[in-house]
Amino acid sequence: MSAGTEREPMPGRVEEGLSIPCSEDCLLRPGNTNCGGCGMSVGLTMLGRVLAESGDTCSLVIPACCGIVTAGGFPTTSYGVPVVASTFAAAPAFASGMASVRDLNGESGQVICWAGDGGTYDIGIATLSAAAERNENIIYICYDNEIYGNTGGQRSSATPPGARTSTTPSGKREGKKDIMSIMAAHRIPYVATLSIGHPEDYARKIRTALSLEGMRFLLLHSPCPTGWKSEPAESLLLVRLAVASGLFPLYEVWDGRTYRISVEPDWTDPAEYFSRQNRFSDHLIDLDATRRACREDFERLRILAEQFPHVD
Amino acid sequence: MALELVTGNHAAGYALSVAGEANRSARGAACGIYPITPQTEIVEYVAKFPFTKGRVVPVESEHSAMGVSIGASLAGARAFTASSSNGLAYMTENIMVAGFYRLPIVMVAVNRTLGPPWNIWADQGDTLMLRDFPWIQFYCEDNQDVLDTTLLAFRLAEDHRILLPALVAMDAFIISHTQMETQCPEQEQVDRFLPLLDLPHRMRQEHPTTMGGLVWPLEGMSQRLEIHEAMARVPEVYEECREAFRGEFERDVGGMIETFGTDDADLVVITSGTIASTARDVVRRRRQRGERIGYIKIRLYRPFPEAAIVEHCRTATKLAVLDRNYAAGQGGIFWQDIRAAFQGRRDDLLIQDYLTGLCGGDVTPVMIDAVIDDLGGRREAGSPMWMGIDAAVEAT
Amino acid sequence: MIEIRIHGRGGQGGVTLAKIIATTRFLKGQSVQAFGLYAAERSGAPLQAFCRYDTEPITNRNLIYEPDHVIVLDPTLVGPAITGGLKAGGWILFNSPEPPAHFAADYPSYRIATVDATAIALEHHLGTRSVPIVNTALAGAAGRMLGFDLEDINAALEHLGFTGANLTAAAQANEHVRVLEVVQSDEATPRAAPPLAKARAPGFLGGLGGEFPRIKTGQWATEQPKRQQMVPPCNHVCPAGNDVQGFLHALAHDQTDEALAILLRTSPFPAVCGRVCPAPCMDNCNRIGLDGAVNVRQLERFAGDHGHADVKAIDQRDEHVAIVGSGPAGLSAAYHLARFGYRVTVYEGAPDIGGLLRSGIPTFRLPAEVLDREIGRILALGVTAETDHRIDRPRLLDMARSHDAVLVATGLQELRGLRLGVADSDAVVQGIDFLDRAHRGEVRVDGEDVLVAGGGNTAMDAARSALRLGASSVRVVYRRTRTEMPAIREEVDEALEEGIEMDFLTQPVALADDSVGTDGRARFRLTCRRMQLGEPDDSGRRAPVEVPDSDFDISCHRLILALGQSADLTVFPEGTEVREGEHLLGLLETPVYAIGDLATYDGTVAGAIGSGRRSAYHIHEALSGELLEVHAHAEARRHVDVWHDEVINAGAMRLHLFERTAPSAGTTVPMATRRSTFDEIHQGLTDAREAKRCLSCGVCNECDLCVTYCPEGVLKRVGHEFVFDYSFCKGCGVCASECPRNVIFMSHL
Repeated sequence: MSAGTEREPMPGRVEEGLSIPCSEDCLLRPGNTNCGGCGMSVGLTMLGRVLAESGDTCSLVIPACCGIVTAGGFPTTSYGVPVVASTFAAAPAFASGMASVRDLNGESGQVICWAGDGGTYDIGIATLSAAAERNENIIYICYDNEIYGNTGGQRSSATPPGARTSTTPSGKREGKKDIMSIMAAHRIPYVATLSIGHPEDYARKIRTALSLEGMRFLLLHSPCPTGWKSEPAESLLLVRLAVASGLFPLYEVWDGRTYRISVEPDWTDPAEYFSRQNRFSDHLIDLDATRRACREDFERLRILAEQFPHVD
Repeated sequence: MALELVTGNHAAGYALSVAGEANRSARGAACGIYPITPQTEIVEYVAKFPFTKGRVVPVESEHSAMGVSIGASLAGARAFTASSSNGLAYMTENIMVAGFYRLPIVMVAVNRTLGPPWNIWADQGDTLMLRDFPWIQFYCEDNQDVLDTTLLAFRLAEDHRILLPALVAMDAFIISHTQMETQCPEQEQVDRFLPLLDLPHRMRQEHPTTMGGLVWPLEGMSQRLEIHEAMARVPEVYEECREAFRGEFERDVGGMIETFGTDDADLVVITSGTIASTARDVVRRRRQRGERIGYIKIRLYRPFPEAAIVEHCRTATKLAVLDRNYAAGQGGIFWQDIRAAFQGRRDDLLIQDYLTGLCGGDVTPVMIDAVIDDLGGRREAGSPMWMGIDAAVEAT
Repeated sequence: MIEIRIHGRGGQGGVTLAKIIATTRFLKGQSVQAFGLYAAERSGAPLQAFCRYDTEPITNRNLIYEPDHVIVLDPTLVGPAITGGLKAGGWILFNSPEPPAHFAADYPSYRIATVDATAIALEHHLGTRSVPIVNTALAGAAGRMLGFDLEDINAALEHLGFTGANLTAAAQANEHVRVLEVVQSDEATPRAAPPLAKARAPGFLGGLGGEFPRIKTGQWATEQPKRQQMVPPCNHVCPAGNDVQGFLHALAHDQTDEALAILLRTSPFPAVCGRVCPAPCMDNCNRIGLDGAVNVRQLERFAGDHGHADVKAIDQRDEHVAIVGSGPAGLSAAYHLARFGYRVTVYEGAPDIGGLLRSGIPTFRLPAEVLDREIGRILALGVTAETDHRIDRPRLLDMARSHDAVLVATGLQELRGLRLGVADSDAVVQGIDFLDRAHRGEVRVDGEDVLVAGGGNTAMDAARSALRLGASSVRVVYRRTRTEMPAIREEVDEALEEGIEMDFLTQPVALADDSVGTDGRARFRLTCRRMQLGEPDDSGRRAPVEVPDSDFDISCHRLILALGQSADLTVFPEGTEVREGEHLLGLLETPVYAIGDLATYDGTVAGAIGSGRRSAYHIHEALSGELLEVHAHAEARRHVDVWHDEVINAGAMRLHLFERTAPSAGTTVPMATRRSTFDEIHQGLTDAREAKRCLSCGVCNECDLCVTYCPEGVLKRVGHEFVFDYSFCKGCGVCASECPRNVIFMSHL
């Protein structure tokens, strides 16, 4: 694309020269249109770092979600790896096809689905379940910002109870779907929850996933300041509070049978977490019930981890 | 080449399989499959085929079946699938994407009535629903046609001048489940006929691109324009493929249209699919009786062979279009394409639509005779004629 | 028809602004349109919104290419693109605190209006701090420009569901918008007429779709991250002026020799201080609020005991400096001056070098070989030491004439006594003398009941020494409470653990003979009076007040007085005011300084070391003219943009980011053996792991969390340099928020 083209620049595009100060390429390139402080950006940047260190290559399959908007306008892209935009429900299917051909041809490289919670918990769940049941040799990473972020913040089945979204103006009545139990029930080699607020744990789990074959499902708690109505600079504090309060436990399950807890909550009051996001108001949350549920759910997890511990 | 007694589904399954196998010394073959009456035997055949370098993935829905095939194609393998009626409807979003991504996927579609209410018999509405997409569409007349066209479709779709997916349609049960003698080529012949797949834009680690990100209006329109130009090259490339087919298999697969008696016909009957067989017989009989009547079978529906049809109706004054399909509020779909083709060229032509065999009704010679008789007696075209049912719909 | 084009950023409410303007006209029965141009942009990205209104029905369905007026929501969007097609005679309304004249030069053809909508929005808490919603304020200003009544604007706002603060904001902006009517030129900015048929764009079949992004997202930022450095509290309070954070950083990275080198820049006595310093650094450690102070004392000892250093003089000078007194102040000054290259002679009245370090601190706290090792390092620099060499006034004047500088570091020789009604009793001994004799092995107190009066380190040392010298009981009387005792807290704890009893709020009043004991030794009776705490005195501590009729007696064989010391100024001419750094003996040219306790009354080893160093630097400046930086932590600047000469307290640290780990105390000799020997009690740490607990308050320690968390990957560390790519930094503030030690801050653009 040369300067002096007859095309009118669209708003937001800077028609300057093509020399971009990126001395090395990276998974997520600067100059992307993600919101400042986007949790998904942090997740992608961290993922890219781990891949670069381990020497693994990857292709991404990204369904309709903020992740594909990240790519930006053709012919530029914010991704430094091969990416294909899949239809909303079909990322695991696209990935299965790609991974099959990779394996048929004896090639290396990970095929990674990078999908939001809408595409994972809702519209894509059948596709995801089928890929898991077939134990496809892919990694599926769901960055869970607990809304349909790309379309302006509607509820998904990943939205937690009490949260205000544009389709649940009085707070969501239903609970948050337990996608981890669902995926573990498929007995795939590895499922794990991740948090960008715990970067070493995050990196370790990515490396674990890279070292395994078969279907690997990773759930990343991904703060969305725009949707959560929170300060962008507090993004990491928030997900750390979620882990500390037991709202988002960090753990791993192998083959749906053995468990390991990664981080012990220190039982900070969940009120601390809720108070920093305008999507939650006092009157929409039953704090006592929430505190109880956190403890009980974690207790269940602890029992599983004690009865069926994972041995490396 | 062996002459076998097989169903249309078997012929389709065989063609897809040997085509996939032919790519074994390149990046192989892979696809997603999902069963639906009356296509089930196709996917069962493919699933049982001992590919040297292939993977058939039984998935949980048609949408995913095309999804897997798309992923496989993007990775450079030869990909295909099959579906029918509601399965196609469910698959629609990904069907569209295969076209926009310029992937040479071949899909065999068994034309079955859409529902509910459930109906398993022949109707072309399911594939015609997809006619606006960047897909080449063929409508087959018999088992041999299905097998041959499927093989040819790979060669056509994968040509670098084309790079569009292709759909091969056959009538439910009348072809799919009917055993007829069919020439089944040997693998070596197919190996020679089909060049190895080399997808220019396949995903490569050394050249990372994002397929399918945001496009601005100009880029979007440019890509539509490219598709338009590719479609425009189909007739030329098709004829090359037809020649190559003849060279290898010593058989003519047929043209984009097939005609009979149109050199001097006054009345011309235009149709597709198995109805074409019956129509040809009736026309032949009536010609022998001295009627100046001709017939055109449309084999390639998209891109629409406008020029060829117009050429072969040079002498005609009246056309009967037999549609085994119906667009709500409009009438037959082939009828609309044909009317548009003659617009401004032959405004004198009387073009009458006959809805024949909708929802699986059997189209008999008696019905076609009635059609021709009606056409002969007409002074002007009216609203579509519903054959086989009492209907009094005013012209719109 | 009027057409207005609005330029804003995602999240500022540009489309709603279009709606508000349109609604005012809609409610008046006009035909309107309000819409935005949507693409993939997110919060913060530039976008456009449009508004049309007309008395006739509007049929134009295009974007607005030739607006009548333009509104700019974000001052950073200002550029030539915003006026493309703007008709002559139109106005541009900027959200800006600047007056309209500020923009006149760039837009000479148009009327300019400005209003500080951001300030108004922030004032009324509309939106978030980083993305305030300025649309309702701007609606008020725009309405004024368009000639709308304020009621019409309010009606529109209410129609759209805006209440309260939004209406106030609109009214405020309506009133405060400033307009520059005069235009310099009549030329409108032409709109580049787009061709009807544009060249097609290539598709992806040719392998396109991999180019790098072109958007400079740095333009979205309203703030930019910068780096700063503040003073850690440990560095601030260290009396010796050590770079505490610096040496802990080295130990945390297994660089023991480097840690020692850092300490040796300021203090020659790390192994000593690591045993006897009261460690105000630990009392001020920000980690106290989390899980306990870092054990700096033990870590300094570790560096002093295990590090290797080769200290050399950096220069060679001819000047000769005399130092009177070989205590910590004198030796510290000698060390620094010798390092600068001066010829130094230390004159000590006692038979051995070290002052109170040797004679006043028992070896179970500070072994002789440790002291010798560190003194040896000083002497190895070429310092000459003359022992048994007392100085009097004439001798001092001589010295001042025959040397280029003189430092007097004689400490506090006057020992405070008590009028106890007994003149010259053998029973009463000064603590300092007692310790000196104990150091030379010249005293035993086997079987004695010993009383110690006082609450400082001398009292504790004397009491604990008495225990080890055979006392059958040791008791301390102190006129205030435990809290006011000036002794190092740990010393008091250990004394109590060793079985020494303490009577608080007890003041000795009179001493009298008592009966001779069965063992034949004389006993004495000390009458004590109970005290209670009254108002604070000059030292800031609550003064003890006698409780009437509360006298009681304690029997003892010996009374040790450790009531404090004061300066013996007889060596100076009469009337001399002695303060640190003062040029005494003003009639002479030679700089003569008093240093250490003599000048400061500080009373700690670290304070003396610091005094010695400061004075050495003053001498160096006086003799060479070169001014050296006294504060070592200034050298610890880590590639920052801003240097704050202020202390960072716990409130400015993000303590919640650190995991709790208890401090390491190091091992000690078991109690059973401790009481009976003068061998060192504390065995120190076996490794320097404790140094990793240092939070590095206010000073970057390259933990790289900022790099890890940057969502854009635009922050990199290259060696010790941190590089921010501001052309892409969106100013999200995550790095500043996640720096545990407040090194990164967000600076408003």
